[in-house]
Amino acid sequence: MSPPELTVVTDGLTKHFGELVAVDHVDLQIEAGTVFSLLGPNGAGKTTIVRMLATLSGPTSGTATVCGYDVIREADDVRSVISMTGQFAALEDNLTARENLMLMARLRGYGKPAATRLVDSLIDRFDIGEFRHKLVKAVSGGQRRRVDLAASLVVQPRLLVLDEPTTGLDPRSRQVVWSTVRDLVDEGVTLLLTTQYLEEADALADTIMLIDHGHAVAAGTASDLKARIGDQRVDVVAVDGQGLDELVSALDGHFDLTISRERRTLSVPAPKEVDDLARVAAAVRASGIQVDEIALRRPTLDDAFLALTGQSAATVPTSDDRVEATS
Amino acid sequence: MTTIVSAAGTVPRTIESLPPRPRPLARYFRETGLLVARSLRMIARVPERLSDVTIQPIMFTLLFLYVFGSAIHVIGMTYQNYLLPGLLGQSVAFGVIGAGVATSTDFTSGVVDRFRSLPVVRLSVISAQVIGQIIEQILGIVIVAGVGLALGWRPHLAGGRLPELIGLMLLGLFAFTWVGVLAGMLIRSSDAMQGLGFAVMLPLSFLAGTFVPIAGMKLVPRSIAEWDPLSALVAAVRQVCQGTVSGGSLQLDHPVPAMIAWCVLLMVVCVPLALRRFRTLSA
Repeated sequence: MSPPELTVVTDGLTKHFGELVAVDHVDLQIEAGTVFSLLGPNGAGKTTIVRMLATLSGPTSGTATVCGYDVIREADDVRSVISMTGQFAALEDNLTARENLMLMARLRGYGKPAATRLVDSLIDRFDIGEFRHKLVKAVSGGQRRRVDLAASLVVQPRLLVLDEPTTGLDPRSRQVVWSTVRDLVDEGVTLLLTTQYLEEADALADTIMLIDHGHAVAAGTASDLKARIGDQRVDVVAVDGQGLDELVSALDGHFDLTISRERRTLSVPAPKEVDDLARVAAAVRASGIQVDEIALRRPTLDDAFLALTGQSAATVPTSDDRVEATS
Repeated sequence: MTTIVSAAGTVPRTIESLPPRPRPLARYFRETGLLVARSLRMIARVPERLSDVTIQPIMFTLLFLYVFGSAIHVIGMTYQNYLLPGLLGQSVAFGVIGAGVATSTDFTSGVVDRFRSLPVVRLSVISAQVIGQIIEQILGIVIVAGVGLALGWRPHLAGGRLPELIGLMLLGLFAFTWVGVLAGMLIRSSDAMQGLGFAVMLPLSFLAGTFVPIAGMKLVPRSIAEWDPLSALVAAVRQVCQGTVSGGSLQLDHPVPAMIAWCVLLMVVCVPLALRRFRTLSA
């Protein structure tokens, strides 16, 4: 069997901004036709990595290739196979949605008739019709993101980079993004997706890499990582600090407790999901202690970081990815 | 043209085959043209930008002609004939502010990043910025000249003077626009660029003999004015339009060569720095 074709390969990819090491020796291998997700909190270095792959920023050291083209020496070839949708939709505010798409299509090299056909089909596909003649500055955030996504699909790229495509989006726009991602995978496009949401990486990605402070913390398939992160959890929220202490003494020894004082919460792993929820609820009820809430929840990014780094992602200083990337 | 039915089976996807890539020079001209068209479309869309090049110069003309002008007496010519060449020179120099604000806006909004992630010739992005700005300033200059002519300005442009004037102003616009493009890339906030631009350019323009003769100024402002590059610009435009030279320093005795020298100097310094900055912004 021949080895899988790799769309992106980085070797020791590193980026310094002055003293700050934004990306530290990251080795990526993205197989053609798969979805790869960089998952991490704000300021982890995700945007810096994708900017280097999109030839917008040069690595301090290390190498990166996209479809076999070196991002430094063959930048123009990289640009012809890659499309990027940034975290902040980079559209011209004072042009209409349609004018923005036409400009992108023309800049990609299409003549006017072909560009018109393409843009009209993108307008249909991304449900832009009703606001296509509105200035981009006048449309909602979700509509804007749809235009942005359409703009990055003027050509069928071999690698599509989506930098936090659903951050701050309404559910409908998020659905459009997700279904687009799935369609593109079916069409054979390789996707690199950055996100802060474990749920999103889980729903879309074949391979997930956890990034923190510019380091690759862990990588694997969604199920690999989930096995390491742990299962769903049951959270019990106490009415106050004293209630929490009482709960701890009542449940300790029966369950594997994780205690968060600031959130007045006890957390119990729930590999059996509803059965575990029922067991915890029964124990709380038997204790007779009042609680605010008992709920089954999915592991969050915070849990993932806790499980894999032993450090909470919430304690990571949140320097803004973009400021860091452009300074 | 291929149509692929997406997995959802609802929206067909159109894929156009890309025409063969033209040679780099042809791509450069095509892309620059597309991007200039974009810049020009923006002027009409942004009321502040339109007013910067239309209403603001008209206000300057009216205020100086009818408010301050009533107290300013220039020996040997009407105030219209003194003021209008000065305003034309100022319009050229203020290209720094317009180009700076437009450039910093584009760079901070992420639009330039998007252009740069496309397979376009990089020089076309910056060329379009410069050409678009020059066209915008020309619009303002034509308006100022038109208002001036209507209000009694009488330039003496017979005998090849008009092409000389146009050539000089284009050279000036080109040089000052590059200064603005460089400044806009260095100052990454359009508000700061606007503020700083006026803080620097307005005094330089007031000192430059734009509105009142330099010869009547006190020693300190006069000394600055005699070497202010804008003085050379204003004096050169005035010499070509009205045939008068105020004199007072080397550059004011020979304003046209002095202005050309300043423009060349600005270009020699700013064009390579701007191009380098444009490249390293991506590093």
